[in-house]
Amino acid sequence: MEEILFEWNGNTVTAKPGDTVASALYRSGVRTFTWSYQYGRPRGLLCLTGSCPNCMVNIDGVPNVRSCITPARNGLSVLAQNQNVYRGFDSPAVKRFPAAPPLSESPHHYQHAYLQFDVVVVGGGLRGLEAALASAERGVQVALLEKQPALGGDSVLVEEVQSHPMVTTFLNCSCFGLYEGNLLGAVQIDYDRPNAETLLHLRAGSVVVATGAYETQFLFANNDLPGVMLSTAVLRLLHQHAIVPGKRAVLIGDTARCSQLQADLEAAGVEVAASLPIGSVVSAVGDDHVRGVATETVTYDADLVVMCGPLVPDLGFLAGTLPQSVSLVGAAAGEGFTNQAYIPPPSSQSKNAIACLCMDVSGHDVAETIAGGMGHIELIKRLTKLGKSACQGRMCQTAAVSLCSQISGQTIAQVGTTVARPPAPPVTLGVLAGMRHHPVRRTPMHYQHDQLGAVWMDMGDWKRPRYYDPAGAGNQEQCVEQEYRAVRERAGIIDVSTLGKIEVKGSDAGRLLDLVFTHKFSTLPIGRVRYSVLCDEMGTIVDDGTISRMDEQRYFLTTTTGNVDFVQQWLEWWAAAAGMKVNIINLTAGLASMNLAGPLARGVLAQLTGCDLSSPAFPYMDWRQATVAGVPATMMRIGFVGETGWEIVVAADYGSHLWEQVLQAGASVNLLPFGVETQRVLRLEKKHIIVGVDTDALSNPYEAGMAWVAKFDKPDFIGRAALARMKQSPLERMLVGFELNGAIAPSDGSPVLVEGKPVGWATSVRFSWEKEKVIGMAWVTPAEAKHGAPITLRWDDVNYSAQVVEEVFYDPAGQRLKM
Amino acid sequence: MSFLLKCPNCGERSVYEFRFGGEVRQRPSPQAEPEAFVTYALYRRNLAGLQWEWWYHRGGCGEWFKASRSTLTNEVHQTLLPQDEEQRG
Repeated sequence: MEEILFEWNGNTVTAKPGDTVASALYRSGVRTFTWSYQYGRPRGLLCLTGSCPNCMVNIDGVPNVRSCITPARNGLSVLAQNQNVYRGFDSPAVKRFPAAPPLSESPHHYQHAYLQFDVVVVGGGLRGLEAALASAERGVQVALLEKQPALGGDSVLVEEVQSHPMVTTFLNCSCFGLYEGNLLGAVQIDYDRPNAETLLHLRAGSVVVATGAYETQFLFANNDLPGVMLSTAVLRLLHQHAIVPGKRAVLIGDTARCSQLQADLEAAGVEVAASLPIGSVVSAVGDDHVRGVATETVTYDADLVVMCGPLVPDLGFLAGTLPQSVSLVGAAAGEGFTNQAYIPPPSSQSKNAIACLCMDVSGHDVAETIAGGMGHIELIKRLTKLGKSACQGRMCQTAAVSLCSQISGQTIAQVGTTVARPPAPPVTLGVLAGMRHHPVRRTPMHYQHDQLGAVWMDMGDWKRPRYYDPAGAGNQEQCVEQEYRAVRERAGIIDVSTLGKIEVKGSDAGRLLDLVFTHKFSTLPIGRVRYSVLCDEMGTIVDDGTISRMDEQRYFLTTTTGNVDFVQQWLEWWAAAAGMKVNIINLTAGLASMNLAGPLARGVLAQLTGCDLSSPAFPYMDWRQATVAGVPATMMRIGFVGETGWEIVVAADYGSHLWEQVLQAGASVNLLPFGVETQRVLRLEKKHIIVGVDTDALSNPYEAGMAWVAKFDKPDFIGRAALARMKQSPLERMLVGFELNGAIAPSDGSPVLVEGKPVGWATSVRFSWEKEKVIGMAWVTPAEAKHGAPITLRWDDVNYSAQVVEEVFYDPAGQRLKM
Repeated sequence: MSFLLKCPNCGERSVYEFRFGGEVRQRPSPQAEPEAFVTYALYRRNLAGLQWEWWYHRGGCGEWFKASRSTLTNEVHQTLLPQDEEQRG
């Protein structure tokens, strides 16, 4: 026979085919599987159905795995849990075992699947099989979920279900919740790989719940000793795993089930010492394992105590009122069993009678809480933590309710139960998170940047060159300075394909842009470009960009890199709400764009196009369409970096061709490609803001020093009322420029202090080669917003003195843009 | 939240395909007092019951539409495109 070997706390354990980790351990003589969380009490197998917390172990780095429903496989590394808990001042020496490996280092395969079925049957026992077949015979698609590795119930039915074309069976699959719209959450475990779980999102026309019932424990002193088991565990050990669970047994509880079990045990050679009603039990006896059961009069020696406890329909994954399309069948509906009424024995209020195994809440704790006046079952749960851990109340609820009913004199129904809150059973965070999936967007020129030595940065999903390091020298400052000098003294080019690009066309296009932007666009002449900002109704800047009028009913917009989806939806919403006739198309992925700038840029571009680039023919803030390097292009004369420059937009497929052509044409003047870091220095010298870097979720144009964008030359636009009010109100803060004394640039975001008190923060700080100083922008209170005002930046526990500078750092008159 | 929402173009889909756009409200006229804009910008009715809302089919046709949804039960009674306002039941 094939042998399965795995490790238990560093020792090799042999398992048989069909074994679970728990059954293999039990077979090899393990009786204590874990120690309780709070008091370190030894715990052994209890339910063997995946309902209780007693067999939870760490398997291959994943904690709290229920070993009783996990098949034994070769090579598993299984570790006992809770071995290092504090056990009081006079406790024996703490047992130490190898520390569990961190989860992040363990291999895992978590994924999600989205499925739809006409009928989903939860539970692959007899009633589940019947329900699945009945639906399948009607010709509808059926899913059958079973948490165990095999279907149960009836072997003929199992075969019929498995061969039925309309039934899809999911084994090792636990349903943990039923949500709105009949969405079932279920986790299917693939035991062939370590930590391989799939989260199934099952959308069901109707749901049949055939989860059956689970058995719960009785409350009496030392009821948690290893060797005290539920009858479900004993039956599974006997019949599923062919393990004789003990030599001499005492049975407690339901008389009918006890006598059935007695026959089974005796057939397996187990002596049954007694079969007792729960009321006569005083305590289990033993230290690390049960040695017997004491009644008022006798102590029965036994190495196995079996509880035929109350049965409870297994409905933890259901919450609230069930829709009509959900039906319960079989034991899940309470069919086929009645629980014998029982009176908890006096020792059920002992400190050693454990109601909640997960949190070590005793009958004594429950009684104390009730005596303290907090007798409501929900209060007991909150105060004692009973039912709030791994088994989610399965083992303690019935015992606590019986005890509560006994003490308070209320009926079981009057005591009620606590509210079920899925997910139940628990779900690993890993499978909820799913696969690691980071989509990456690359511009059409991506691989050219790579060859040019780009040092990459992430911008949302996009990859952008931060700067280029062709020599691979690793000196960012040197690289950025070279790129900076190229743009300021000769020419540079930057890939700006990541900027959002939106076309707005239709008879209401001008009207829509008039409504959403602060500037007027219905009167913008064809051929012109205008910079504007989008405000919300609070007057907050939400985005900025350029708008070009292409023809009477067509505009071309650019947005910031991360905001294109937002801007598109914003425009579409206002158009929909106002019933405007416009089409709004996101062209970002279809276009490549690059910005060619610098005093010699005109000469470079002139080599590639016949278009007249002279300022009189093609002035600042105009656009032209022409053939550039043999491909149709739109050129916009704009200047984010503060030099004469053109943003050239072509179809994405031409992007790499045009980039190459510009680099070649610029070679004679030593044109350099430049990255985002260089662009940030260049634009900072011009005090051009970056929305989301220099502004936050509350910044308005007045405090951002951009009062000029708030135009009141039209009766209405989004934010007009708020801006009109702000125009007349004192400002609370202002965005100002500053120069720092010293060569070290504190980090963006450093706090700004005045007389030791924080008044704001610096948004952008960079070394400026123009000023030969560190410059920046910062939010300050209006008192500091005047030229020469001293401020202090604090970074890394060091103060840096600086002065507010009113003027733009580079070319304040803006002449270089228009040359 | 996992209810189904019927996009007027694409039919019944999981709500995860959509972006919520807030309750349908009337923007004040440009001549309204500033207070009306304050109310419009900052206040919501926060109704407990049926209300008309904006939804955007982000994972589908990319269209804004209106839905009448119960904020208590997430039952959706009607959905329509803004131009079909007269079909409001």
